[in-house]
Amino acid sequence: MSTAATTAPATPTASLAGRALAVGFAGLALTALGALISPDRHGIAMSYLVGVTYWTAIAIGMLLMILIHHITDSSWSVVLRRQWEHGLAAFKWLALLFLPLLVLAWLKPGYVWPWMDLKHELHGHGTVGTDILYQKKAVLLNLPVFTGATIVFFLSWIGLSAWLRKASFTQDSDGDVKWTYSSRKAAALGLPVAALTLTFAAIFWVKSLEYHWFSTMYGVWFFANCVRGALCSGVLIMVWLYHRGDYRGIVNSNHFHSIGQLMLAFTVFWAYVTFSQYFLIWNANVPEETFWYNLRELNHDGTTNQWWYVGLVILFGHFVVPFLLLLSYRFKVTPHIIRRIACWVLTIILIDLCYNILPALKDGHGDSRPFLSVNLLWVLTSVIGVGGVCVWAYLRSFPTTKLIPTRDPRIGECLSHHD
Amino acid sequence: MAAPSYGLIATFETAPEIYHAAQVVRDAGYRNWDVISPCPLHGLDKAMGLRRSIVPRISLAGGITGFCTGMSLIWWTGAYDYKLTVGGKPLFSPMFAFPVSYELTILFTAFATIIGMFVVNGLPRHYHPVLKYSQIKRGMDDAFFIVIEARDPRFNLANTTALLEKAGGKEIKELEA
Repeated sequence: MSTAATTAPATPTASLAGRALAVGFAGLALTALGALISPDRHGIAMSYLVGVTYWTAIAIGMLLMILIHHITDSSWSVVLRRQWEHGLAAFKWLALLFLPLLVLAWLKPGYVWPWMDLKHELHGHGTVGTDILYQKKAVLLNLPVFTGATIVFFLSWIGLSAWLRKASFTQDSDGDVKWTYSSRKAAALGLPVAALTLTFAAIFWVKSLEYHWFSTMYGVWFFANCVRGALCSGVLIMVWLYHRGDYRGIVNSNHFHSIGQLMLAFTVFWAYVTFSQYFLIWNANVPEETFWYNLRELNHDGTTNQWWYVGLVILFGHFVVPFLLLLSYRFKVTPHIIRRIACWVLTIILIDLCYNILPALKDGHGDSRPFLSVNLLWVLTSVIGVGGVCVWAYLRSFPTTKLIPTRDPRIGECLSHHD
Repeated sequence: MAAPSYGLIATFETAPEIYHAAQVVRDAGYRNWDVISPCPLHGLDKAMGLRRSIVPRISLAGGITGFCTGMSLIWWTGAYDYKLTVGGKPLFSPMFAFPVSYELTILFTAFATIIGMFVVNGLPRHYHPVLKYSQIKRGMDDAFFIVIEARDPRFNLANTTALLEKAGGKEIKELEA
């Protein structure tokens, strides 16, 4: 273990951060330009929702990984936890980036989330305001509650992040064990808060696009994607720092094995949850529930639509392929292989979010508009735009503290991690 | 020596000693040998030149068997042997066969892992020649041993004794088979 690497502050990443921010602004500018000139602003708004939700999910996942780390008093993840703490710096910018959607919701109710406009025409049966299913759900689904909830979500995430970051960063300088206990309290309090906020965020932001629908699995599905996103980003950061030299002598193949095992576990967990949701709806065969999958499989005339194939890509790409690959010990501990698997899973998480959000865009027959469309371009610009800002926030936080939490009580165990 | 010997046993007092001795025996190319230690030693696997266990492969085979058993069980009972329509669903669909297959995958994987581990370890075993060695109980307390079996192709009483001496072994004794 090189002492220089562990005691020196992390090396500056200013130029890299600047580039990330430039890319982010370019993406956001292109999305904004699209919103100005494109005739289909509705599609752009939905694509932007995909972009913001994607990065928020990864940030929530990082928050969850840190909370789980503290509540289980883990040792293997101490060095990686520091990188996730830097990732949490993105939350305040994500809140800012969510703002346009919130403003849009007030200026043009019903533009993104149809239930916000009581006069919104439903395909074939009246308006939202006269819809019994809306009336029953109106306690939750109204603009003030939506706005208040979104503010509460971001405040909780930003607050928990500030707490965890302060405790961890301050411990570097004073070495006081009280910060570890403080983080543990944050974890005990924060885990239920994070679980509830991410569930309601998934319900308000994504699920309510089809407010007729029922699924008790939805929050859990979102949770699984959040954690998978954080684990995969963690792997990318580990490999990046390893190849750059920072992590030489710090992480060993056991760290890669441990995070790889978690990736495998959450692959199975995601599949369990996603299959359960599908299976229960398939088995009960109740129209209020099956319509959600019908939109993603069939057109009104019974022909198969593109989303059916996207669903298959998700089934195989989000479960079967990563599951089989991650069974292998060698793949988990070989940096360039696990990096490829992480990139693949991060891509599929994006497709999974597209699958959950974009079919809410309908054509004149009430069919979902196809997957392969110009909206993919706007998804891409939004993801790059929001992502550039998130990566910039991470890289800007990176040099402000030590590379690893040198005075964490578990740092010795972490550096000699062996499974 | 009238009775055939099982092999040689050598005593080592400290963990670093046994670690380096293991490297020496490994580099000499021995295959049928083992280390007896009162506690797990990190890195000893590598020092002994052990490869990863084959148990994960046995687990995978168990899992695949379980999955196929579940699928064919549901197909056989509901769609072939006694055709029965339940809830207006097709006679067979992987959808409703999946929970059963999933459970059997886990069950069979667990069985294969436990049984595979026992078989690969050579357990249960009620007797082992090292148990006759008068000092063997120290191997559960404060000493480390290396045992090189006589069936190893490289085994040669004089050379192997010399190797163990070179590796720092004390009280090198022959074990009764």
